[in-house]
Amino acid sequence: MENGASDSKDPSGFLSEIIGTPVTVKLNSSVVYKGLLSSVDGYMNIALEKTEEYVDGELRRSYGDAFVRGNNVLYISAD
Amino acid sequence: MASQLLPLELIDKCVGSRIWVVMKGDKEFAGTLLGFDDYVNMVLEDVTEFDYSGSNIKLSKILLNGNNVCMLIPGGEGPEAATS
Repeated sequence: MENGASDSKDPSGFLSEIIGTPVTVKLNSSVVYKGLLSSVDGYMNIALEKTEEYVDGELRRSYGDAFVRGNNVLYISAD
Repeated sequence: MASQLLPLELIDKCVGSRIWVVMKGDKEFAGTLLGFDDYVNMVLEDVTEFDYSGSNIKLSKILLNGNNVCMLIPGGEGPEAATS
């Protein structure tokens, strides 16, 4: 994680670039969370604000703040 | 002995070019590789996600978790270009 910290094209640089922006997080279960990315760590643990939970493309629930454990994350997409 | 190319060096040569990622399970991704780390977490741009259902999802820029990556094909444009 340390060698590419200054390079926005590497994973850690990309993460620091998208902090505070709207993101889409897809889990291995295909559930999708959309929200503002408040923080993320090296495990891809994610804290989201204004989170919306989509199951099969349909909005199921909304959360003010949400923590997603990193092992469930398939990808983080910048919106 | 001829110098051999390590697997991750092969992937390093792919930075900046199109790559096809086959995941464990049914999912596949095709996109431009911008960067990766030792876990093969990858930053991809102009991505198409190929689902088991046959639906394609377009994504502008993603960080793909390396945990479920199975295979990388340099220059690949996804399953539809490969099966003809």
